[in-house]
Amino acid sequence: MIKESWALPINDTVKIKNYLARLTAQQLDEQFPDLAGLLGLLIITGKISYQEMLPKDCIFIRHLSFAQEALSAYRNNRLEDIEPALKKLPFRSAFRDFRTVMKAALLMPESIEQAQALLAGIPADSPYHRAAALLLALMHSGSQLAIDLFRLSPPQIRLVEAVKNFNQKQIELLEALIKQKSHLSDKVKFDLALQYRELFGDHAKNYCLAALSTYPDGQRDFIRHFGPMDDFEAWRLKALSCERNGNFHDAEYYWQQGISVLKTRGVEGASRIALIMRHIAAHQEAPEERMSWLIDSLEHDPDDRETFIKILQYLEQHGQETDTYKEWLNKSIRQFPDDIELLGLAIKAAERDQAYTKAAQYARALLKVDPVNTFAKKVLLSSHLAHAGTLIKSRKFDLAEEEIRQAEQITIGKSSRTQAQLMRGFLAFVAEDEKRGAGLIADAVQKRVNGLVCAHFFAAMEALLLDCQIVPVLQALPQPETDYYLSEQEITQLIGLIHQYADDNSATPALLHEALVKVQAIINHSIRQQDYSEELLLSLCQCLGRIRHFELLDACLKTAQPSWIKPIWNYYRVYAEVKGDAGKCSEINFLRLQISLENARQEIDQRAVARIGKFLDQYHEAHNMIESSSADDIEAGCDNPLHRLFGHLPDDLYDQLEAKLIEISENNPQDRTLKMLAVDYLANDVARMESLCKDPDALFAFLLLKASDELGFNIDVNAADVIECFGKKADSKPASLFSFFKSISESL
Amino acid sequence: MKTPYEILEVAEHATDIDIKRAYLQKVKLNPPDHDHEKFQQIYNAYETIKNKTNREQYALFNFPEADFDALLEHAFSTAQPSSISADHFEQLLRASIGDKTFLIGGSKKQAHE
Repeated sequence: MIKESWALPINDTVKIKNYLARLTAQQLDEQFPDLAGLLGLLIITGKISYQEMLPKDCIFIRHLSFAQEALSAYRNNRLEDIEPALKKLPFRSAFRDFRTVMKAALLMPESIEQAQALLAGIPADSPYHRAAALLLALMHSGSQLAIDLFRLSPPQIRLVEAVKNFNQKQIELLEALIKQKSHLSDKVKFDLALQYRELFGDHAKNYCLAALSTYPDGQRDFIRHFGPMDDFEAWRLKALSCERNGNFHDAEYYWQQGISVLKTRGVEGASRIALIMRHIAAHQEAPEERMSWLIDSLEHDPDDRETFIKILQYLEQHGQETDTYKEWLNKSIRQFPDDIELLGLAIKAAERDQAYTKAAQYARALLKVDPVNTFAKKVLLSSHLAHAGTLIKSRKFDLAEEEIRQAEQITIGKSSRTQAQLMRGFLAFVAEDEKRGAGLIADAVQKRVNGLVCAHFFAAMEALLLDCQIVPVLQALPQPETDYYLSEQEITQLIGLIHQYADDNSATPALLHEALVKVQAIINHSIRQQDYSEELLLSLCQCLGRIRHFELLDACLKTAQPSWIKPIWNYYRVYAEVKGDAGKCSEINFLRLQISLENARQEIDQRAVARIGKFLDQYHEAHNMIESSSADDIEAGCDNPLHRLFGHLPDDLYDQLEAKLIEISENNPQDRTLKMLAVDYLANDVARMESLCKDPDALFAFLLLKASDELGFNIDVNAADVIECFGKKADSKPASLFSFFKSISESL
Repeated sequence: MKTPYEILEVAEHATDIDIKRAYLQKVKLNPPDHDHEKFQQIYNAYETIKNKTNREQYALFNFPEADFDALLEHAFSTAQPSSISADHFEQLLRASIGDKTFLIGGSKKQAHE
């Protein structure tokens, strides 16, 4: 048994012989697996041939014969015999990795992935690891192959080149790549692409063209090899290169240069110009700029529907009632007369203009393209009924009958039939028999809405819209009992109805108020008696606020529980108090709303933020208008008391007086100031001074007087003038001394 | 990186019909439930060049990649071996053995000791 370990270079045949002769079967098969593995590889490759010296009874020798059998079958092209031979090699065999490498080789080139997976299983310390790496290199191509070859010896590289059947040029390129190792600069790559362009074909030119963006010095070589660059292509690449670096400003310049070139290229150039303009538009931040590019693009390609849609969408978002929008809509329809989306937009625009005949025309055109389009059917139905209503009002009953008949032929659903029935009822009510007509109306109304309050409101609105008498129509409906209350569902439906009428331009707030008069009492006592949820009452407040029905809004707010502390309640309280006029909002309510706005922001209540914010904006606008109108008034010689008293003073003198006024206020507390002014100007009548100075303007006037006295200025104003100016209204003004002193101290 | 034309294996002057046909064929071979990534690549390629406008847009706004790897791939793509002969296989095994290979006797443990 061998006690020592040894490592011999395979060329040292004498020593190898010596040691191998002493090996036992057990050592070779069990104790020295690494030795057995390498020995197997050396024997089957013919590097050494001492197998006759090994123990004849060892497993190694048996497995060696299986490996050689597989090799022999391979060599003699008996591929079907290879697998059975390899199968005889078990997992623990010294030829296990030989089996794997051979199987992988046989899988090429059909099953590269499978072969790679097999080779990945060969451990790094296996004698077959290097063979596996070589085999893997054979499976790679391109840059990966070059990387693989960096790690191989020259004979191994030559083998790979031979197996891959590379031509001389390919071998030269590979060697050039290997020389560069893995450090390939932009210049080296560019030069290699030029030098070996016959290997790369057309790709060489494309590569060099693209590479110019990172290697601009290559331009001269590029022109030398491929000829001058197309003008447009040069601008295009520059523009794209800028875009790639996020520099859209410069990109736009280069695109414009490219457009100049394309303008000389006829139809093909025009379509490319349009595409470039739309591309530039997509990168514009300002919507106006974006639109400008899109509009310009249509001059070069007027058939792009998407561009028309984008322009219309932009114009719709920025003032859809403008003539520009209508102009573009007409252009779009002329260009795409059968486009469903554009026809839909045209219908909506016509409806907004109350051009119902035009809307109906578009709806008919839309139905020709899309016969089941519900939107168009609804528009057509509404158009017929609206027209019928107008004809009833102008007492052209035959024509109204015809319109109703046409409306009845439109089949959308139950609701459309009820609408037509309602109009027929009104026609009968006006033109034939009032009682029968009222009956028909009542019947249709009850089909259309649930609940008696909703029915009465709806019937009243419809009658008012057709200039009909309300009373006979309402009398035909069942009457609510005195203890009738609106359920939550009915309130919700009523809110929906009011919003629906408010959306319709034909129903003015006055009409809505008139219709609500008939049901106001029931709504009022329902609000007081019923325990409606906070959300429902808020919806009702929003609805009533929208139509400016402050009486019912007040009723809602009185019922709102004190525990409901959402900022929106503050808004509605103030809104109702000033009857929707932000200009009338008091300073204290203004401050309260500012706090509510902040709270709403913290609670992420967007609805409240939007409403309060809008109201406060209106407050500011109103106050700015007051200020600006005051300035106008001064010029017109109007009677603002402070301007009447001190308007003649030059600005610099007035500024000095104001500075002194602040000084006096700063040095004297409120009580002392009033006493001081009373002593100086009212013969020590402090009570009278306090009364007068409830008006902050009066206090300001007395303080200016005091300031002028202290500075020794003659301002042609005396105490009597101030008393005359403010005396009469002293008692009616709100007490705001505190706010005056507060504002003075804040200004300090 | 492959162009949409290369992915669908159509010529750059192919018609809408040719492109659609090639797309459907590719989808048939690579259904989304089989290899979703591959399917997505095919779908994106089709969307990019499916009609004249899209092809023009691609031609105008696609930044040509200076992909040197792709260039090498092309240069060596014609040199793929059809299969490995027994002769090459044996050469490969022989080439895997360096001149300085040592034949080591004894167990690993003994050798380290």
